Amino acid sequence: MSASIFRIDLPAAIVIVLSIVIGLLMVLVFAWTSDQKAIHVAKDHLKAHLLAVRLFQDQLPVVLRSYGRIVLGTGRYLRLAFKPLLYAIIPLTVLIVFLDLYLGWKPLKSGETFLVKVHTASADALDGVSLQLPPDIESTAPAVHVPADNEVIWRAEAAKQGQYEISVADAGQTVSKRVVVSEGIPRVSPIRLQGFWKRIFISGEPALPDGSHIQSVEVVYPARNIYFLGMEWNWIWLFFVLSLIAGFAFKSILGIEI
Amino acid sequence: MKMYSGHSNRRYLIAALVAVFIAVVLHPTRSEAYAGPGAGFAVLSSFWTLLVAFLYSLYAFLTWPFRHLLRLFRRRKAYGNAQIRRAVILGFDGMDPELAERFINEGKLPNLAKLRQQGTFSKLRTTFPAISPVAWSTFMTGVNPGKHNIYDFLGRDLASYLPYLSSAEIRGPKRSFKLGKYTIPLGKPEIKGMRKSTPFWHWLGKAGIFCSVIRVPVTFPPEKFPGVLLSGMCVPDLKGSQGTFCFCTTRASGDKFREGGVRVPVERNGSAFHSYVPGPEDPLGNGSGKELRVNFEIRPDVSRQQARITADSESFTIKVGQYSEWIPVKFKAGLGFSAHGICRFYLKEVSPEVEVYVTPVNIDPGRPDLPISHPVTYSIYLAKLFGPYATLGLAEDTWALNEEVLDDDAFLAQAYGNHEDRERMLFDALEKTQQGLCACVFDTTDRVQHMFWRYLEEDHPAARNVPRDQRPNVVQDLYQRMDNLIGRVMQQISDDTLLLVVSDHGFKSFARCVNLNAWLHQNGYLTLKENKTESGDWFEDVDWSRTRAYTMGLNGLFLNLKGREREGIVAPGADAETLKDELRTKLDGLVDPASGRVGITGVFDCDTVYAGPYVDNAPDLIVGYGDGYRASWDSVMGKVTSQIFEDNLKAWSGDHCIDPRLVPGVLFSNHKIAVEKPAIVDVAPTMLKLFGLAIPKHIDGKPWKVATQSSAA
Repeated sequence: MSASIFRIDLPAAIVIVLSIVIGLLMVLVFAWTSDQKAIHVAKDHLKAHLLAVRLFQDQLPVVLRSYGRIVLGTGRYLRLAFKPLLYAIIPLTVLIVFLDLYLGWKPLKSGETFLVKVHTASADALDGVSLQLPPDIESTAPAVHVPADNEVIWRAEAAKQGQYEISVADAGQTVSKRVVVSEGIPRVSPIRLQGFWKRIFISGEPALPDGSHIQSVEVVYPARNIYFLGMEWNWIWLFFVLSLIAGFAFKSILGIEI
Repeated sequence: MKMYSGHSNRRYLIAALVAVFIAVVLHPTRSEAYAGPGAGFAVLSSFWTLLVAFLYSLYAFLTWPFRHLLRLFRRRKAYGNAQIRRAVILGFDGMDPELAERFINEGKLPNLAKLRQQGTFSKLRTTFPAISPVAWSTFMTGVNPGKHNIYDFLGRDLASYLPYLSSAEIRGPKRSFKLGKYTIPLGKPEIKGMRKSTPFWHWLGKAGIFCSVIRVPVTFPPEKFPGVLLSGMCVPDLKGSQGTFCFCTTRASGDKFREGGVRVPVERNGSAFHSYVPGPEDPLGNGSGKELRVNFEIRPDVSRQQARITADSESFTIKVGQYSEWIPVKFKAGLGFSAHGICRFYLKEVSPEVEVYVTPVNIDPGRPDLPISHPVTYSIYLAKLFGPYATLGLAEDTWALNEEVLDDDAFLAQAYGNHEDRERMLFDALEKTQQGLCACVFDTTDRVQHMFWRYLEEDHPAARNVPRDQRPNVVQDLYQRMDNLIGRVMQQISDDTLLLVVSDHGFKSFARCVNLNAWLHQNGYLTLKENKTESGDWFEDVDWSRTRAYTMGLNGLFLNLKGREREGIVAPGADAETLKDELRTKLDGLVDPASGRVGITGVFDCDTVYAGPYVDNAPDLIVGYGDGYRASWDSVMGKVTSQIFEDNLKAWSGDHCIDPRLVPGVLFSNHKIAVEKPAIVDVAPTMLKLFGLAIPKHIDGKPWKVATQSSAA
């Protein structure tokens, strides 16, 4: 039983190592880009006002003033933490987007059925949309149209491992979407999209052409849950928790004010 | 153009950062992914603060009606008979009425002049003897020393004739166990307060009147009461002493300092120098006396006349003639045991020698290893609010100036640095204590007058080398600073607040030293061992079997009483009384042959000046030195010399440990006080009366008649 709780498979090991490294880096970035003395003073003042609430608890005006100062002090502290936060967030965002393509979803297994969802600009365009599959992938059910959501859905199954391109045609225009069938931890992009902002966060494929009726092509991969300490974790939450623990540990060791 | 480009780039960078931040925060799909550790730290830390504040607010909100009712009930009861809403007592240790009056008349103290004109100014009778721990103990308890048991800084051990600190006793934990080479203490050190009787703020607090008490002497260890208190004079340093400075130098070692300091060598290692700060005894060392240390490195920069010092994890640069901030130091004893202190470094010289002065290691107020406040969190609260501050009872290092390790300017910088911290604490206490008592004692007045009185006199032995026109107006400047402080306090208080400015004693010159042990020796009352003409410290060469009287400390004269002292020879009763009379007759009016002036103006029998359960611990006689005289440095330490009278050449050139009738303190108030000869013993009963409390019968002082509104109103 205990052996199963402490079992660590490859994705968990990757997340643990990354969390420790990133936790350390973030603490260092925080130290280099923040006003350490000002943060120290701001935190001390917050603690003082909290203590004042306790020490002078029977003096209502003092307590109320202290509450006001706690709120102001918290604002001051957040303002001081904002600059290092900005410096940390850009590389971290890029890194997490990148890692999410590997750790966010599991690739399809051979013989596993999956859904392909195509989202169009209007319900009228649904009838013109068709799916073309490579030889090792076959459709296992007819297309289902969902006009309320402007969506058409197919069910398919891959016969063997590999990277495939499926095609969706509409009004003479064809767009492709990658499908990954594997047992390892390959790069998996679940959706291909139009536009920029949304795409940079969740898609690992080029943008769909502007003006196309097809707004997105999605392959529904199973979400990857990481087993750690007897629980199934979304990798991001696990990364968040572990990197915070690592960060707090390193801040104490390195004497950095956070 | 370049500049424009730089600004432009920065603007784009900021815009990009903000855009990414907004996108990250507003993106709804997986925004949790982008919080990350950086944001997590900030959010968690502030969230934690807010959560704690919120939870406490909730608790306070839910319980507030009950507490408010209780408070109303208690306050109505407490303040029902009160004649005043608030009392603010500023204690200026050693402020002298004659000097104050002189400066007022010269128009230099406008705020004290205002108090004198609109309220009260009077001399305030002090205690026998006129020593701070004695007088402030009487101030707070309203009783004579026979009831509070403090007669001097030092008491004497009847078995060994050795001194001990009279105000508090600190012992290691009772139990311990051995683990290999270590002796692990079980429990905390035992701290026992030696001052008896109850401070008046305990009575007030119990009656529901809130009190903030800051740095009143002899409040260590802090006693529990319903209010807040920061301990003052008598708080030890981390070594357990009353202040041991450290002088680190590359110069060849000389004699050890007579008082208050240790000399530590500085070793050269390449371009860096290494030394250490001595700390407390290793608590795991099985009583071996092994001292804990904090090593530090000095990297001098001769061209810039500065040095970079690294102690523990702290690294800082100071210039020659400059102090560092308070630096935290951790003395590690092994097995995870450590002692936390703070100290300041002062760079004396970087070339040709390297010299660094380190203040005594103070107990860290933000992380006190010994309790220095009540509640314990009060010292922490002040440290968080204002940063680290001096906690040592005698925080101004007079010994370092006496030993010429510090010069005048360095001493004053240290003293006024502490003073400014104290002012901040006072104004915070004033804000927090809108009703009740706020009492704060400032020591600067005492220390600066002790060390700079020499410049007030034409011909003080300690200033003979300084031309008259080069003597700074340090004492006048001190009084003006205190006056300025009073002015700022007066702006903070309304007419229904009683302001008292009191001092425990005044000041006089200390130009000549009297070695009373030498006099006792030369007059046949104290006998030395065979072939000895002098004795070392603490009666090293005294033959107790032939000694009838001795002195140690500042004013006490003791009979070597049979059945009391270990080797006592004077029979109690008639013999003792006869001896006391004889000593009084001979000493009273003792003339200094060099000047023809009277060195001793009164000798007082303790049986007549004290009454109470602790009279047995008192000296047998109190010696009142004349103006310009005081017990010699040697005599205080139980040393017998061949000279009775000698010049005092130390910077410590003013004193008050003389005939108490010559050094009354001051009493200023913004209210009229109708009393003919106020005394410091009257303060406590006056406070009790003003807040409508009954005065306990054992109290010796008499309450004053105080107008309940200021005359200005």
